[in-house]
Amino acid sequence: MIRRIGNVLAKEWLLMIRSPSSLLFSVVIPLLLVGQAIFLSWILPRFLAPGSLGLAAPGAVGLSDADGFRLLILSQFRFFVLLIPAMVANVFATLSIVEEKVTRTLEPLLATPVRTWELLLGKTLSGALPAILIAWASAGLFVGLVSLLGWGALLPYILTVSALLSLFLLTPAVSIMSFVLGVIGSSRASDAKSAQNLAVIVVLPIFALIAIQVTGLVWFTPLFTVFVALGLVAADGLLLVMAGRLFGRESIVTRWR
Amino acid sequence: MIRTTNLCRRFRDRLAVDRLTFDIGEGEIVGLLGPNGAGKTTTLRMIAGIIAPSSGQALVDGVDPALDPAQVHESIGFLTESPGFYERLSARRNLAYFARFYDGVDVEAAVEAALRLVGLGDRAADRVGTFSKGMKQRLALARALIHGPRILLLDEPTAGLDPEAARDLRSLIVRLREDGATVLLSTHNLAEAEELSSRIAVLRTRLVALDTPGALRSRREKPGVDVRATTWNDEAIRAVTAESYVLGLSGPSSGLVRFRLADPGGDRPKLVAKLVEIGIEILEVTEASRTLEDVYLQLVREEEA
Repeated sequence: MIRRIGNVLAKEWLLMIRSPSSLLFSVVIPLLLVGQAIFLSWILPRFLAPGSLGLAAPGAVGLSDADGFRLLILSQFRFFVLLIPAMVANVFATLSIVEEKVTRTLEPLLATPVRTWELLLGKTLSGALPAILIAWASAGLFVGLVSLLGWGALLPYILTVSALLSLFLLTPAVSIMSFVLGVIGSSRASDAKSAQNLAVIVVLPIFALIAIQVTGLVWFTPLFTVFVALGLVAADGLLLVMAGRLFGRESIVTRWR
Repeated sequence: MIRTTNLCRRFRDRLAVDRLTFDIGEGEIVGLLGPNGAGKTTTLRMIAGIIAPSSGQALVDGVDPALDPAQVHESIGFLTESPGFYERLSARRNLAYFARFYDGVDVEAAVEAALRLVGLGDRAADRVGTFSKGMKQRLALARALIHGPRILLLDEPTAGLDPEAARDLRSLIVRLREDGATVLLSTHNLAEAEELSSRIAVLRTRLVALDTPGALRSRREKPGVDVRATTWNDEAIRAVTAESYVLGLSGPSSGLVRFRLADPGGDRPKLVAKLVEIGIEILEVTEASRTLEDVYLQLVREEEA
């Protein structure tokens, strides 16, 4: 069982390495998101009059107006980090499944002793694991840049318990959800682009989270983050069951087009 | 080795395979003939355990593929209609990937042996994307053979290949037959079916006929007599048709007329004498043998009717 899942995983990663577009995408998107957060935190306070916004993260006591505003932007990065697995995992999923459809490799694969759940699990891990690692690496890069730019004093306010919970609980849950939605979308799509349209379903709620945070309507406490993570894990389970059905031998051969 | 009993498959309101019952013994090659949509691929997929039957049962070496597909997959090699490979990977990597799904296979040795068998040893390191259709088809056969299966299901193995590539692939199948493989082969190519198969199954949703090629050719009608002459005219045709022993005729086509006689052996001298008498200049008289194509087309037309 592990040998067969490992075999799928190794092949998927080999194909990813040989796909310049997916590699480029998985590097460019995280760099853009990190760069954007850092750039905005650097540039915006320069154009704002002191006290003009009056916005600051809760608990940010004793910070200057600029740092308070900067903190507000930087503390959203934990949500921007969620966009990375959402987008990267979806790209890997659609490439992985759509390529099998285009090259018509699924039927010969289904004639081997590999079980469909082993195939699905191998593929899910192959897309979700790199997406999680890329998201964590991006978070590491972000922290490094914040320190390098002399904003290290803000780190205790950024790396809160709920931010760490978000990084280590929400990121894997979003990554799996995105990949599985990619699989579901790919089962109906004939090309990668139309399959990736489903990524919007994952990305939009994350933008909503950012908007809610910015308006200050809801603040992600550790307990609330855990609840959201549990909700996402439950949704992942349901989606995996749905993907498992769509990924059955019968469906692939008779319904996938 | 392969047994189907009342095997049926329905896709919503369309019946793709209807009460299919047949047996294939060890070392036998059975050709599955039928028009497009006759249920050939669906039958192979059910036997391979890729799709489940709506009713009835298939047994592969005593195992029901609907109940234990993984065990069936260990013992069969399935050449699918489309070869299907990861084009950015080499032939060797592609085969190794598929070989690793089987228990007890020495992957490296099996891959090299399979590549040599299909004559692709020197292209092992090349990306499959650079291969011609014939090479991909040979590689697909290597994949089907990678774990040394005793049962092979081949879905249109020579479809779309040029004559030389098709001949090479047929030679390979002949070698497998000589090594004792049991093969169920779906094809549109009647000559190929006749060359390779010990028995032929004609399928049109249901099993229309199953017999040896020779028996299929002779079982439907008595053979007639082909007469080639320099010229034919309507008057001569009418005169011959009036003879009581002439049951019918077809032609003339390129100087050839095929006569259906009540007793082909006994009536032939009488027919020749009559033709000479009415002034037909005969070039050649031969016994008309029905081709497998004649039989196949007749069976399919009868089934349509």
